[in-house]
Amino acid sequence: MKTLQAQVPEALYDRVNALVRDGWFRDPGEVLGEALRRFIESHQGSLAEKFVREDVEWGLRGDD
Amino acid sequence: MVCDAGPLIHLDELDSLRLLGGFRPVIVPDPVYEEVNRHRPGCLEKSGLSLEREAIRGPRREETAVLGRLLALDAGETAALGLMEKHPGAIFLTDDCAARLAAERMGYAVHGTIGIIVRAIRMRLMSADDVLRLLRELPRRSTLHIRQSLLEEIISQVEKSADLSPSE
Repeated sequence: MKTLQAQVPEALYDRVNALVRDGWFRDPGEVLGEALRRFIESHQGSLAEKFVREDVEWGLRGDD
Repeated sequence: MVCDAGPLIHLDELDSLRLLGGFRPVIVPDPVYEEVNRHRPGCLEKSGLSLEREAIRGPRREETAVLGRLLALDAGETAALGLMEKHPGAIFLTDDCAARLAAERMGYAVHGTIGIIVRAIRMRLMSADDVLRLLRELPRRSTLHIRQSLLEEIISQVEKSADLSPSE
């Protein structure tokens, strides 16, 4: 396991703690790990690249 | 056109919000308007765009709401998807992968900042030279994340398409 340090807005920090307090996660690290995993899954480089390529094609040859 | 905050911020950073001028109206939900104002205060008022602000916070359709939660979309992206439900024929402009994924899943037409910049040549809003200059300056002038080698590929593609040789 690796350690990451991050600064987050107060409100976000409170919501992370609320998830732990309510028993959904063991600790704030587990919340951040899950959040990062979901973010990375939906922001894969290959996906971003596909979207940019589609955009260039539309920009050059689209009809709107 | 319905806009997410990213492209409005990125285009303003590039002093190019006018490229959205042909889209009438440009519709933004309240959370997007507030986010853009936090990052670029006053830019939307000064843009001269045919801007419509709508007081919407989220989607009505359960499927959209669930997709938004699964993909951890933020308030602006979620509200923008809610607006797309009201204007399904509109273009959705976003630079966020997850928001784009959700919107495409819902069957909407989606584009991003790069598409708008490149489109400026086709719509004769900017010369190919100026668009290429803007693309080259993008990493320095904007907070839009794009892999350098991909950007170079795009520049080369635009050069070929506009039948221009590299300026270097």
